[in-house]
This record gives sequence, structure tokens and C-alpha cells, in this order.
Amino acid sequence: MTTGAASDTAIAVTRPRQAVIDGAWRAIGPGVEVLSGDDGGPLRRTVKRIIDPLVLRLRSNTHFSAPFVDADVAAAMHDAIVGNVAALRATAAWFDVLKRERRRLRITTGNAQELYFPVCFELAVTRGEPSRDDHEAATAVLRDIHADRDRTAIEVLNRFVDDEQVIEALAQQLDRSWRDVRAGTAITGPFLSGLTAVLGAAESHRDAAARQRVWTALIADATPYNLGAKARDTAADLPWSIAALGLSSVEPQEPPPIIGGSPGDRPLNRSVVDRVRATLRRALDRDELPDVPLLCAEEVDRSCAPWGLLAEDNQATLIAGIEVSVDLAPLSDATPRYQLSRMIQARLRKEAYVMRARRYLSEGGPVHPRQQQVIDDLAAFTRPYLSRLWARLHGRDVWQEPCDDVDDVRSLLEGVARSVSLDHRQRIKAMLQVTG
Amino acid sequence: MKLVAESGLWSTGPLVAPSPLVAVLEVSGAVMSWTIDGEPAAAAITFTDVGRADWLWRVLGESGHSALATAVNGHAPDDAQTVEVNGVDVIPGSVDQLRRLAMGHWMQRWWPASHRDGIVGLDAALLDAEIALLTAAAEDFFADDTFDSDVAGLLAPHAEELNALVRGGDPRVVELVRAAAELTDDVGLELAQPVVGSRRRDDYALAAGAQRERQNSAAIARGTASVAWAGVPPRIFDAAEDTITWVVDVADCVANVAVAVALSYDHSAGGIPVRLRSGEVSGAGVLDDHGHARFPLTTGQRQPLSESAAWNHDWQVTTIAVGADVDESPQTRARVRDFARARLSAPASDAFLAEILAAESDY
Repeated sequence: MTTGAASDTAIAVTRPRQAVIDGAWRAIGPGVEVLSGDDGGPLRRTVKRIIDPLVLRLRSNTHFSAPFVDADVAAAMHDAIVGNVAALRATAAWFDVLKRERRRLRITTGNAQELYFPVCFELAVTRGEPSRDDHEAATAVLRDIHADRDRTAIEVLNRFVDDEQVIEALAQQLDRSWRDVRAGTAITGPFLSGLTAVLGAAESHRDAAARQRVWTALIADATPYNLGAKARDTAADLPWSIAALGLSSVEPQEPPPIIGGSPGDRPLNRSVVDRVRATLRRALDRDELPDVPLLCAEEVDRSCAPWGLLAEDNQATLIAGIEVSVDLAPLSDATPRYQLSRMIQARLRKEAYVMRARRYLSEGGPVHPRQQQVIDDLAAFTRPYLSRLWARLHGRDVWQEPCDDVDDVRSLLEGVARSVSLDHRQRIKAMLQVTG
Repeated sequence: MKLVAESGLWSTGPLVAPSPLVAVLEVSGAVMSWTIDGEPAAAAITFTDVGRADWLWRVLGESGHSALATAVNGHAPDDAQTVEVNGVDVIPGSVDQLRRLAMGHWMQRWWPASHRDGIVGLDAALLDAEIALLTAAAEDFFADDTFDSDVAGLLAPHAEELNALVRGGDPRVVELVRAAAELTDDVGLELAQPVVGSRRRDDYALAAGAQRERQNSAAIARGTASVAWAGVPPRIFDAAEDTITWVVDVADCVANVAVAVALSYDHSAGGIPVRLRSGEVSGAGVLDDHGHARFPLTTGQRQPLSESAAWNHDWQVTTIAVGADVDESPQTRARVRDFARARLSAPASDAFLAEILAAESDY
């Protein structure tokens, strides 16, 4: 069957946003070379760390973030970039200063562009072009960036939980909170069948709107909560085994310890303090570091909530992720049940093809017995998948970032598969490089 | 441009060729592939995620990018679906650098270095340094972390080698390594200081290789076989044909087979499985570091193969498989060797420095 493209109509009026940015950047002219590639276009990181967040300010100007933009939006983007030419040239000058200073201080940690680009723009806006005696400012900036703020916060946490009374109080709180969670009696069928729509295809705007409506209804459904509550019942009749999914090492789920544990702990077995520690580690980019005692108290309640997540939309997203992941197997020909998981599986298959084309895998498995462990891991894709998805959702839960937009949820579910696959493939590759 | 649904993904057309002949590159949202000895412009592009392929306007033009995105929007690439995107084509030259990058990766994995066939090996460190430079220059195509975007990962294993290469003094090498070192500064990695007295590994040297089996008068049967490249890791085995020799003999009244595989480079063959099948008779072992293995043979009833049964067995149709079981034709390998010889005898305009040096050493 051939679908003739009735697509030519939209061509003239939309432009790819990256092309618009590239064009505007070239209009700036000289003075921004350190932010540009050899061909004169902006570097990837210039776009990611400066243009998008600080010049176009995508958070408030959401119309600038569409992959294709019409002529008016394109003109507005162009003006925003070209209108910042002085600041961008000064940013480039500051980057030069910071890079020289980085070399002088013999700093090699982290990626200079990734770390310094935003702060250079900030310096450019607040101080203009760097002057001769600005090298002290540069030193101060570098010291601040490399001061390891997360370690400072983690030290605060360590001191806080060093107090036995603190642990005792948290343990009592956990005891109460854990008993507060009880499964309701509502049936789970409607939720799971609703997922078929959420994880299904949308061929038109109307389909997409309908899909969003279903998701909005699903996150108000008690099923994810009830399933999570049942997971801690002896008489649990869950559709899956939380041990097989890798979410918990024991069935039924037990209350987590307040402190202790090891890095290999499954998500729902992790201690409260370890969960807070993960939050602090991920808080690197946040301006305000949260209050440690408050974070700990909140984390106790969160770890007692079904699936270790407080927000209903996050709980629902985890259920959607479970349903997607149990069907994924990069090295098999199995056909998943949902359109979204079929698409992810198709990508994983293509990525496995790349591995074969690069002689990292053979048709049926490893090219060296040394890789066998990783190959076995691939067969149990759901475990690392859910581990990573849970960590992402945990982060969203802490920072109260919603999961109510169905496209956002779908792209989260896709993104987790992408990063687990990349991780797997790098391990398969590394296994071969250990040659004698 | 016509897009076809290929295994659940949109593709500009399937590329049907065995792995040893395919150069691939994974960019954001797509996998590009070429046949190594095919038309350079004939890139097969398979979209893993059209939405993430935000570089597409560089290859199809702005209107082509919009048209393709619109055409596939809402169309699931199921079954035998096709989508015609009228008037859109790859801009000539727009993927040349990507193909070169894919070729670099291919050379790193499939170059058929062989002492027996006289195909000189390529310096791994130098090749990776040039791949790293090409990768950095193609960063527009790697929006997110992809399998092929890790510049630091390409250089990190070679710090010592690259320093040794610089001390060799060839100005072309020095320039390349310096440029790569600039990259490593940007990616937060420092080339190690030169190590006094470190000797450059000679990639061209043939390691132990298959020792000639002594003509054993007790040999019941003997033969040769070839390694299927796709079933084994690169840079271990000599890439010639008939590099596996096997001899069946008898020890303690039980038939054994001794297998020896010719090696190339200096990587160990240790741990790689080897299997013999001959009708009902079979056996399996594991190669040692030098590519040798010796293991007992059994009958269809899993009983040890006795001396008399061994003498009575017809050994005409005996297969030896080294590594994973793969179906790979000798013609495929011959085509790869032809390609490599052609590259060495007349380096292409886009030849890698590692190729040029190999060609120069090959007199």
C-alpha cells in the first residue's frame, strides 16, 4: 500500500528550528568563533547551553521550541539571536578568559563548554566584555564551579543522619506512614485497557487529543496506587512479579531501612538516606539546595507511598513503563503489544544491527564468551529499564515536575530505553576491549 | 525520495549486504549505512526517530526536512507501507563526511589484515585519532549521546600510543595527533606524558600464528577451514582463507582433534570456542592464547569416538567453526580483501592517514 504524500502543502511555511538558529548565528559575523564549529555554525553546546535557555529562553517562549516554526516565529527567533550580538561576542570573550584560566589552574574535570557556557553568558550580560583585570573574576568563577557543591550538601546529610535520635524519629515516622497505605478494592481492568490508548498510535490531531484525555483520566484512577499498595500484601495478585521486574528483591515488598544498604539495591529496597543522597547528587544544577531534615522527612513519606512515589501521575507513569518494558527484548524477534513498545523494540533491533555491523555482536549473540553476562542482561531488559525509569520518576517526584502530558510521558518512556540501550552497548563494546 | 517501512522503522531503502561489507554510522535519530565498495552517494538512511534527526535539513534541505517530517507524521511504519516524499533528495556531498566517518569505523573493525595474504594492518590509535577528529567535526549530527559520538572514549585508550607516534616524528602523524590532543583538552581529558623507552607496538608483526603441525604418521584425517569473520572479534585472526588446520589422531584409544588457527596482530585468541562437526561425529573446545586447541571427539550417541570408528569414519565433509556460528560466504571475504588491496595500492583521496602509512610500509 502506498500513501501518496499530500504533504507538500506545508513545506513553504515551516522551517526546521535548527536551520533558523544556524542562519541567525551566521548573521552575527565575527567575534564568536570559540562558540562556533569549523563551518561557522553554532556548536551543539552553544545551542543547548546558551541559545536555547538564555537567548531564546524556551521555558517562557515555548513557541520557539517547536521543531518546525512558521515565518513569524522564525523571524522572532532570528531577531532574538541577532539582537544579542553584543552579549554573545562578550560571551565568547569570557569563554576565552575562562579557558585560559582553566589551563593555568590545571583543571581538567568536566567539559569546559558544558560547564562554562552559561556562566560566560551571565558574565557577558552583567559585566560586558571582559577587561584586562577581570582575570580574578574568572578565577572566582572557576573556583565556584568546581567547588563540588553536591559533596557539600551530602556532607550536611551525613552529619544529620549521624544522630541516632534522628534515625529513631525517622523510623517511627516510617512505621506510621507505611501502615497508612492500604489498597482499595477498585478493579484494575479499565486502567490497563486505557493504557492501550496511551501507548497506542495517534494518526491525527483528534487522536492525539483523545490520547491526552485518556491519560488525564488514568492519572486520576486509583489503580496505580492500589497496585503499589498490593505489592506489599502477602496475598498480592499483581499482574507482574515485582521481583522479576527488578523493582524489589523481596516479595511482597517490605518497608525500606532508614539508613544503610548497598549500591546494588533494587529501587524499592533502597534506604531512605540513599534516596535523599541520590536527590542531592542530582541537584547539581539547582540553585537552591533543599533543607536536608525536611528532605529526609519527606522522603520517608515518599518511600512509604505506593511504588515509592507520591504523585499519582508518577505512579501511573511507572505502571505504563512496566507494561512497555516487559515486552522489550533487543535480541529477539518478539512483537510487543503496544504501538509505543513496538516502536522502541524496532529501534533496539536496529541498534543491535549496528552492533553486528561493527562486529561487537554476531547474529545470535556474543562474538566472545566474555560478553555473555551483558548478553544475558539484554534478555532481561525490563530490570535496568525500570531501575532507570524509577530513578527519573523519583527525581520528578522530589521536584514536583508533573507527568500529566501524555507526549511528555511517552518521550520519557522512549528516552529511558535509549539510555539503557546505550549503556548496554557500551558495556558490550568494553567487554571486547579487554583483550590480552 | 521514497520511504519504506523496514522492520517497523522508516527507511530510504534497505541495504542488503552481509555485515563485513557494510559501513554504518549511528547519528541522532537515524542509522546511515553504505556498502563499502558501492556508490558513495548511495546512503541508506533508517530513521530510528525522525523527531530527533534535527540535522536532517543539512542533508535534505530545509523544505525537504519539513516535507519528510510532515509525510511520516502520524504514519506508523507498519508492514509494507511506503511514503512518497515528492521532490526531496539527499543534497550531493552532504553526507560525504559521514560516510568517511562510517568507513573509519568499518576499517577499525573489519580491515582484513593478513600476513599470509600480504594485507598490511592499520594502526588502531592513529585510526581512532582521525575518527575522533571527524566525529568532533560532525557534532551537528550527534544531538544526544549516541553510540558513535563519544570522542573522549575513542582517544582515551590510546594516550600512550599516540605519544609514542608523535615521537616517531612523521610530520603528518604529529599534526594529526596534535589536533586530536586539542580535542581531548576540550573534552576534559589529557594525553598522557610521553613514557620514556616505550616502544611502539608493531601492528604489522605476525604473532605466533599457526605452527605447522608435525606430519604425524598417526594422523587419521586432516584438513583446513576458514574463519568466519562475523563470528569472532577483530584484530585477532589472520584474515586469509584456510587459516584453520585440523588433524584427527588417537591418544589413549580415543580420537582427538588438534586445531590451530593463524593469528594476526597481538591479541590473544584465548577463550574463543571452536567446534568440529563431521556427520555424526562432533567435538568442542576452546582456543588458547596462541589459537590452538585439542579436544576429544564423540559419536552421535555422545560416546567417545574409538580408534577403529575414527578410521572407518568418512571425514570428507568436516566443518570447523571458530567463534559464534555465522553464515558467511568466502566471496564476501574475498570482496573485502579486494577492496582493501585496492585502497592500499592506490590510496583514495579520502584515505585515512593510517591507510596511507600502511600503503607506504607495504613495498
